[in-house]
Amino acid sequence: MTADQTTPEAPGPVVIEAESIVKRFGGATAVDDVSIAVRSGEIHGLVGENGAGKSTLMRILAGILTPDQGEVRVDGRPLTGGTRAALDAGIALVHQELSLVPELTTAENIMLGAFPTRLGFTNARQLRGVAATALREIGVSVDLDERVGRLSVALRQFVEIARAVARKPRVLILDEPTATLTPAETDYLLTMLQRLAEGGLAIIYISHRIPEIFRICDRVTVLRDGQLIGTTPIRATTPAALVDQMVGREYKLDLQIRRESTPGEVVLAARGVRAHRVHGVDLDVRAGEIVGLGGLVGAGRTELVRAMIGADIRTAGRVTVTAHGRTRSISSYQSAVRNGVAYVPEERRTDGLALTMSVAENIALPNRRRLATGGVLRRSRVSAFAQRLADSVGLRPPDIRKDAGDYSGGNQQKIVIAKWLGRNPKVIVLDEPTRGVDVGAKAEIHRLIRELADQGTAVLVVSSDLPELLELSDVIHVIRDGRIAGTLSGPEADERSVMSLAAGGGMVGKA
Amino acid sequence: MNSTPTLSLGPATTDRSARLRAALARRTEWRGLALLAVVVVATLSFEPLVFTAYPVTLGRVALIGLVALGLTAVILMGELDLSVASTLAVAGVVMASIPNVALGIVVALCAGLLIGLVNAFFVVKVGINSFIATLGMLFVLRGLAFVLSGEKPVRMADIEAGIAFGAPIIGPITPRVLIFVLVFIGLQIFVTKVRAGREFYAVGGNRQAARDAGIPVSRRLVTGFMLSGFVAALAGVINTMERTAADPTAGSTVLLASIAAAIIGGVALTGGRGSIVGTLVGALSLGIIEVGLTLSGVQVDVQQIFIGGVLLLAVITDPASFRAVVGNARSFLSGRRGETPA
Repeated sequence: MTADQTTPEAPGPVVIEAESIVKRFGGATAVDDVSIAVRSGEIHGLVGENGAGKSTLMRILAGILTPDQGEVRVDGRPLTGGTRAALDAGIALVHQELSLVPELTTAENIMLGAFPTRLGFTNARQLRGVAATALREIGVSVDLDERVGRLSVALRQFVEIARAVARKPRVLILDEPTATLTPAETDYLLTMLQRLAEGGLAIIYISHRIPEIFRICDRVTVLRDGQLIGTTPIRATTPAALVDQMVGREYKLDLQIRRESTPGEVVLAARGVRAHRVHGVDLDVRAGEIVGLGGLVGAGRTELVRAMIGADIRTAGRVTVTAHGRTRSISSYQSAVRNGVAYVPEERRTDGLALTMSVAENIALPNRRRLATGGVLRRSRVSAFAQRLADSVGLRPPDIRKDAGDYSGGNQQKIVIAKWLGRNPKVIVLDEPTRGVDVGAKAEIHRLIRELADQGTAVLVVSSDLPELLELSDVIHVIRDGRIAGTLSGPEADERSVMSLAAGGGMVGKA
Repeated sequence: MNSTPTLSLGPATTDRSARLRAALARRTEWRGLALLAVVVVATLSFEPLVFTAYPVTLGRVALIGLVALGLTAVILMGELDLSVASTLAVAGVVMASIPNVALGIVVALCAGLLIGLVNAFFVVKVGINSFIATLGMLFVLRGLAFVLSGEKPVRMADIEAGIAFGAPIIGPITPRVLIFVLVFIGLQIFVTKVRAGREFYAVGGNRQAARDAGIPVSRRLVTGFMLSGFVAALAGVINTMERTAADPTAGSTVLLASIAAAIIGGVALTGGRGSIVGTLVGALSLGIIEVGLTLSGVQVDVQQIFIGGVLLLAVITDPASFRAVVGNARSFLSGRRGETPA
């Protein structure tokens, strides 16, 4: 965490450079005249809000996209010829969205596209050998013959990194690699990257998490709206200055504001809930209260909330929602929705939105009944309704006729929240509400969640983002192995206490 | 390297039996095997003749199975080839129309490859969904078979060759069964050992990942469709040889049966999941059921009801969907019981 942990600035010769890159999609310019150069042995941070052009720029470096103008050079030689040429030149990209094949084994995924062959036949021994070496190099043990689809999300992330390392790359690009990792795993990954850089690798590291940037990077480049804001040595900047550059306005990292709350009656009550990976949980959420669920990835938090609201099968236990003095039991997801439960799932792209439908249609979906007359949706009513909600969540641009898929992650999340707001939910359950969302949108989503609670909604939030969990929650239940390992509130809740409960005492992760 | 810290995520299985159990749990054929076991036991008790007359049964299995094997290659990539049955008919007619048997076989097989290439062209280059592209080809080729044949069966010029072909060569094994076994072995090796075949799973399982990893996805698709076309044409050639005549309506029942065989054998229509062995198991189950029902005097129409039932049963009992089915049924029932209307 201190400066002497990082490698010296600009340690080696420039390995990869991009000069005056321009990339347009239709009318929009995603990357506008950006240049970047990364040296051997350097960890180069790349930050910017969602939609700033980071991922596009990296896809250009990896040969997946061809720039409209400008040139990528590796060792001074221009790079042309797509993915294959980029791979051959030693550029390895670890994608934000996991790009593994679920039905192939760990070893095959690590060697994907580069199976060692003899006369066209795969050489199984060599394949497993190279894969095992790559895993050893990053120090992670995974069953080589296990199907990747059966591995945990965190393990898959490491398999993906092993794949990049197996190619013996000269440039390693990582796009948000820690989004799905716990603090302990993140800590491990960052140490590993520093070790790889010491071996002479050039690393480009994209992250929304500012502390990670400051911990491992030598230099950092900021993009905003597709334009290069600047590249600075990490020692010459501060977290606040970096965030200012990213958002282009004054923004305060207000991590420790806690709401004054006066919770009311119990609205959502769970008793003895058991399900896949959930082993008996009692839980209450009161009106106007924000209850946070913390814990490691795979501890059973998502499974718990899904079982509670009937989205997944509950093998035992009873869950009730109390509203207007009447208590109703939740037996299916339909009954949950009918009784005022709103659910914002973890995978918003696949579970939360119809990406090819307009924002207005998405918002209208759970509100069809109230918008229809005699079963027919009235377009003008839908538009007015959707526009009001889109404005209230701060959708930008507030164009409800655009497809939901055209919006960035943060805006998509706002659309998901907006469609449920229309139902005036009694209970709202949010799973990782700000994963992969940029700083500005994150703050707005937090504001929305607080407003909901202030209006008397019972809020249940699952989050792996510790500062977020601490900032939002009135009460934090830490889940471990499908049970509540401990409950924290007020001043006793801090990163240390949550982590030590999550990890089962003893170990305390750095965040 | 030994001094590097390591991260342990989840249990690593080191002991032998655990590894074996894990390896077995990964297989996709269990459902098909269970069904096959049930079918075999049931047939043994009701109609043991199916096994006494095994050359007949094997012949039927080979008819469904051969086309299904080729089709599996395409389905593994998440695509579909509906034109296989029509390809079979066209190849048969083409072959019978050429007086020289050897030349006829070569031309028919080339026609199969060409059809595969055309399918691939529409899917890869034009970008049409393979269901639609091959549906179009289904109609085009079926019509072509009628036009080429003048709407009636075409007799082979060299009937002797056909009769000789139908005779068993090794014990009771006819060339049809032998070719079926050889194609099975060939494809099994292709998708498990050959690099291009292994990459079919990547193309079907996560196409973007396959592209990003530098796998030539288009070329794999072309290979798959050509394989499927070739195998379908081969089935057409065998049919014609055995019957010494090509019927333009040949293979009309084969298409759906071959898709059913693959599904029963655990091949996922979404791609990336399944095996050639699974398709074999599925074809065996279907073949035995069909022959068993025929020998018991069950009419063809009624047989279809059976097969449809078996297919649905097979899909419902898939471990992945089984839990969901049970859960849905349970919440449906409890929902009815425990709720007051809002």
